[in-house]
Amino acid sequence: MTKDQTKQLKLLCYVNWLVAQKIGGESGVRNIDALKSVVALPGGDSLTCFLGERLSNRKDLYTQLGWFVYYLIDGEPFNSKNRTLVLLMLAWCLKYYQLEFDVDTLADFIKNLDPMKQGNSDISLWFSNNCR
Amino acid sequence: MKRKIIRVGSSRGVLLPREVTRAMSWDFGSEIDLTVDKGRREVTLKTIKVSIPDDYDPDHLKQIEDTLTEHEDVLGDIDD
Repeated sequence: MTKDQTKQLKLLCYVNWLVAQKIGGESGVRNIDALKSVVALPGGDSLTCFLGERLSNRKDLYTQLGWFVYYLIDGEPFNSKNRTLVLLMLAWCLKYYQLEFDVDTLADFIKNLDPMKQGNSDISLWFSNNCR
Repeated sequence: MKRKIIRVGSSRGVLLPREVTRAMSWDFGSEIDLTVDKGRREVTLKTIKVSIPDDYDPDHLKQIEDTLTEHEDVLGDIDD
C-alpha cells in the first residue's frame, strides 16, 4: 500500500471509531481486504479527496466518491455503521469542496443504494446530477 | 480495596464500585482493556486510549467531528 492509502485507511478507522462513540454500533475492522479496496483506486492511485487535498475538477472528485461509496457499501469492511460512515464522510467532503447538496436526499440515496444494481460510475453520475 | 469473586451465570465476576466507574468515566457498555500478569499475579483494567497519528491535521479531524454533530439526527437514522 502507498503512504496515502495507509493514511486514508487510518482516517477511515478513526471515523469508524468516532461514529461508534457518538451514535453507537460496534467499531472495528471486519474485513481488512475490503477496506484496502476502498482506498486503492485503479492504476495504483489513492483515494485522496478525504485527506484535505483539493482535486482540480469535479469529475475527478465524483469519480473518487463513486469508488469510495461503492466499495465501502459493497464490501462492508467495518463491523457496523458502514453506510453511516459513508454519509458522514460525504457530508464533510461536499462541504469542504463548497458544493451545494441536500443532506436528506443524500441520506436517502445512501440508505437505499443497492451495490448489486448500481456501480461506481452510476454513483459518480448521481453526484454530478445532485451537487452544485 | 478488597472485592469478592461472585457468580454471574456460569462465569465469575467482580463488581466495580460506583466511585471507581465514576472516576474512570466507565458506563454500561464501555470497553476496557484487561491484562493479566501471571508472574506478579495481577490483573489490570485500563481505559482504551485511541491516539491520533502524528501526521494528521487535528483541524481536519475536528471538521469531521463537527459534521457528525451537525448531522447527528440524519446519521443516527441509518440503521446499519
